[in-house]
Amino acid sequence: MLTAGIDMGSKFIKTLVLKDGMVLGKAIVPTGFEPSASASKCLEQAASEAEVDISSIDHITSTGAGRKAASEANTDITDVGAAAKGVAELIPEARTVIDVGAEDGRGIKTEADGKVVDFAVNEKCAAGAGAFAEAMSRALEVTLEEFGNLSLKSDKTIPMNAQCAVFAESEVVSLVHAKTPKEDIARAVHDAIASRVVSMVRRVGINESVALVGGLSHNPGFVDAINRGLETQVVIPDNPEFVGALGAAIVAGERNK
Amino acid sequence: MFDKFINWYENRHDYARQWLDKNDGEVVGCFCSYAPEELIYAAGLLPVRMLGSHEPQDVTEPHIFGMFCPFCRDVLAQGLKGRYDYMKGILLAQSCLHLRQAFTSWKNHVPSDWAFYLYMPNKLQTEHARPYYRGELDKLRKSIEGWTGHAIADETLRETAELYNENRRLMREVYAMRKQPDPPVTGLEAMVMVASSYFVDKKEHNAELKRILPELKSRRLDRDTGGRLMIVGSENDDTEFVKMVESVGATVVTDDHCTGSRYFWNLTQFNGDIMQDIANRYIDRPPCPTKDWEERLRFPHILEMAKEFNVEGVILIQQKFCDPHECDMVPLKEYLAKEGYPTLFLEFDVTVPVGQMRIRVEAFLEMLGVEELF
Repeated sequence: MLTAGIDMGSKFIKTLVLKDGMVLGKAIVPTGFEPSASASKCLEQAASEAEVDISSIDHITSTGAGRKAASEANTDITDVGAAAKGVAELIPEARTVIDVGAEDGRGIKTEADGKVVDFAVNEKCAAGAGAFAEAMSRALEVTLEEFGNLSLKSDKTIPMNAQCAVFAESEVVSLVHAKTPKEDIARAVHDAIASRVVSMVRRVGINESVALVGGLSHNPGFVDAINRGLETQVVIPDNPEFVGALGAAIVAGERNK
Repeated sequence: MFDKFINWYENRHDYARQWLDKNDGEVVGCFCSYAPEELIYAAGLLPVRMLGSHEPQDVTEPHIFGMFCPFCRDVLAQGLKGRYDYMKGILLAQSCLHLRQAFTSWKNHVPSDWAFYLYMPNKLQTEHARPYYRGELDKLRKSIEGWTGHAIADETLRETAELYNENRRLMREVYAMRKQPDPPVTGLEAMVMVASSYFVDKKEHNAELKRILPELKSRRLDRDTGGRLMIVGSENDDTEFVKMVESVGATVVTDDHCTGSRYFWNLTQFNGDIMQDIANRYIDRPPCPTKDWEERLRFPHILEMAKEFNVEGVILIQQKFCDPHECDMVPLKEYLAKEGYPTLFLEFDVTVPVGQMRIRVEAFLEMLGVEELF
């Protein structure tokens, strides 16, 4: 059986083609202003990598904030359900799933097979999400990759009250004016994001093991901060940004039966 | 079937103006559902509970601190913008200090002939509450009589209390139908029914309820019931939100809101002294968290209701900055979870981000296992 999952993220669309549980192809494209067209493009790329025709895919399930815009999808599932499902496949022992993307952060409490028991989503502000790290790296004039690694060079804790992404930026500006080294600012920013995420996850409870997925899992500064915040080591699967798409593709298989 | 209620709700100011044209009385604005409307109505006046408009506004900043709840600011904005300019009197029954601030600012900045601050005690779980509150109601009665120039007869009060009881009984009958596996009433219809009862003359409201009740018995809705949800929180007449929830595979089957069931759930019991009877009715009603000390009586009430209405999940609605309800959110979530009721917490403002909230409600319904409806 051939299935596909399309994760319509706020910044990137991720698509993954599955054949009997094996990943045949995947693709990622920026969401842009025309999410429907971008989704089609992303699906074409993944199908091409998988060397299959889109028409031969038995069932396509979309997920993510813009999942209704994926016109090729037969069904959809929420990002909470998809992330839990994807993690259950990759890290079956995980009971807490943390999914941090560009605009959203989610904490999900799960049982075996990815059954969702409770969840919390960040409220109204991107201070606990990837877009904030991106904005702060721009403020420090470093690339996002450099920004993540920079923070590992610091061992200083500078408290930053990131209740609001915009006001947090003004805190960063104050630190720049005070000639604070870049690596210390980078660590302060990652600590602030992690602190928002950890306090959100505490609302649903932290049960081991803890899986971290979503695009921000690629940022080593954030991962370090979240491990310190949770006082445990999170488990990150390969290609963490594709976990939602994987979950959706698995659900597509269940729904095609 | 609910057209009349919807029409009233959407044109509440027109209704009040027409009432003034037809009647020789005044309209009195009530802050809070604890305002003992029977005393107002018995004096030949029309009690109207003030609600917001769910539109962003910029007129309350000089009067109310920004971190007071959106509802109290929305209500005051209606006064400052002159939308209740037909109203001659206002009455506050003390509940929370946010709404008291709206009342005080209204009194200071919106012209009215009569403004009364009724001290409704916050500690009701004491034997002193009943005589105390009765004494406060006596003062309110005298003040109304002084303003209108007419005495309120005990007999008129009794008749009014009976009229109000009838309204409560009829609305409970409608609510009871929502216990059915496929309720003949949507959450949106129920919300508008109760919200309109806040300002429509109870005689008219009762007549309309009596008209629809027999029809409701055979009504079948052309929609799937889906997940059976209860909504719990303070004030909530956000029809857009309920519309959204009921469009993604769910039905709101009951609520614990002061704009919902708390307003009409219990009846006045007649024991001879009508003033004490009315006082007791407000003391004994399902409590707002401001008045639920020291035992939290609202928790078992909510649980009982969830069981009775066969609820699958509970949406906890938090008006941003509403301290009394914030106080309950953590223990209530825990309490309901222990009893097997999952909850979804949502924070409300003057307007709600329907798109964001839809994603959360859908994920909640998925969690409850009703995804086959998508």
